[in-house]
Amino acid sequence: MSLIKKAIDWGTRKSPWIIHFNAGSCNGCDIEIVDALTPRFDLERLGILQRGTPRHADILVCTGAVSLQTKDRLKQIYDQMPEPKFVIATGTCACSGGVFDGCYCVLGGIDRVIPVDVYIPGCAVRPEAIISAVVKLLGALEAQQKGGGKDAERRSDYSTVGREIQSFEG
Amino acid sequence: MLLGLGKILIFPGFLFLTVYSLLFEYLDRKVYARLQNRMGPPWYQPLADFLKLIGKEVIIPAEANKTMFQVLPVISLSAVAAAFIYVPVLGKEAIASFEGDLIVVLYFLTIPTMCLFLAGWYSRGVYATVGSVRTLTQLFAYEVPLFMALLAPALIAKTWSVTGMTAFFAEHPLYILINIPALFVALVAAQGKLERVPFDTPEAETEIVAGPLVEYSGRLLAIFRITIDCELVMIASLVSAIFLPFMTGNIALDFVLYLVKTVAVLLFLALMRSVMARLRIEQMVNFCWKYLAPIAILQIVINLLVRGWLGL
Repeated sequence: MSLIKKAIDWGTRKSPWIIHFNAGSCNGCDIEIVDALTPRFDLERLGILQRGTPRHADILVCTGAVSLQTKDRLKQIYDQMPEPKFVIATGTCACSGGVFDGCYCVLGGIDRVIPVDVYIPGCAVRPEAIISAVVKLLGALEAQQKGGGKDAERRSDYSTVGREIQSFEG
Repeated sequence: MLLGLGKILIFPGFLFLTVYSLLFEYLDRKVYARLQNRMGPPWYQPLADFLKLIGKEVIIPAEANKTMFQVLPVISLSAVAAAFIYVPVLGKEAIASFEGDLIVVLYFLTIPTMCLFLAGWYSRGVYATVGSVRTLTQLFAYEVPLFMALLAPALIAKTWSVTGMTAFFAEHPLYILINIPALFVALVAAQGKLERVPFDTPEAETEIVAGPLVEYSGRLLAIFRITIDCELVMIASLVSAIFLPFMTGNIALDFVLYLVKTVAVLLFLALMRSVMARLRIEQMVNFCWKYLAPIAILQIVINLLVRGWLGL
């Protein structure tokens, strides 16, 4: 039984499929995400594929400061994803609202609506930062799966883990 | 009895089919990546995808028909696995064969496509419904050329069994040259059957998200994905058994030859996938009925003439 769980944990780390959602971004970060998926960066090396539907995806890559129009959609997309699922807030606006913080029409950050695992600041973020964030998310996930959790503290420049990554026991 | 069961379940049957299909998906993605000047996925990628999907939550939409939604992936996988019994892997002999098993194999291969259609239909999603209608439309376009292209060599071999055809063409290898147009038609129609570029209109991820599989998640999706991979192995094996039956007589050597032939077919299909763009559904139907079907009919006429001329 534990062998099967180990195999599934291994598969989860090696095959993160992402879905990209624009929650009221200026499109700068979205273009950088598309850039990260091009052959130059070749994310398929890490097993990352972009999927169109939230049902197939493991990681929700969000951009933008969450305008009131996209709030419900963002929640809906998150709810449609099967567990285990993770969220990456991409760009300064997604982390804190950025220059739009305090504006009448935005909530100011993805974590006002859904729990976020990794924050990537930057305006716009660089593709290398996105790749680094995904790798760090997977590293933290591995530490969590192996029951350690001490590696979860080891964060640096690009990313910080906002909440404890949910374990799979649930 | 026990030996037969072992053959069907382990080698060269179901277990071999699934393992080889994971390898096939890796090779397909790797070749695709190399042709795009990328490194591509590591060798364990299809296995990791499969294990991950097994471990994920299964969401069944409230509107969907729950029984059909769960049963359809299993039916389609078992249909492909059943078809694989009649295709020779070790030497000339398949696990089982009878006069007319070519027709049975072709019908078994239609079942996954029908399951895909029903899966999209019972999901009740808009994208899923559009995708499944396209799947069915496409089925009517490629199925006739594919059937005719695979049945044309049977006219020369004078048998309707895959094993019999392999044995006949292994004895008379030069007859293969007559069937080259049928080989071309079969390979192009196979792209339609497997829903790969240029005929991936049913699952076109840039317009209708993922087609019939839009609502599938977790292990149901895993079974559907492995079904599609098994179908790829199945088509490659069938084409190499009918059109490329070069044999040595030694079982081990023949098995190596089988691997070489199927991988060669896969490389051709991967090349086609990399260099082409997606056709619209009506362009696809036009292409199949205007070009592929006439070539297949021409092949049947040629084969009949050759048969009369040689007095076979």
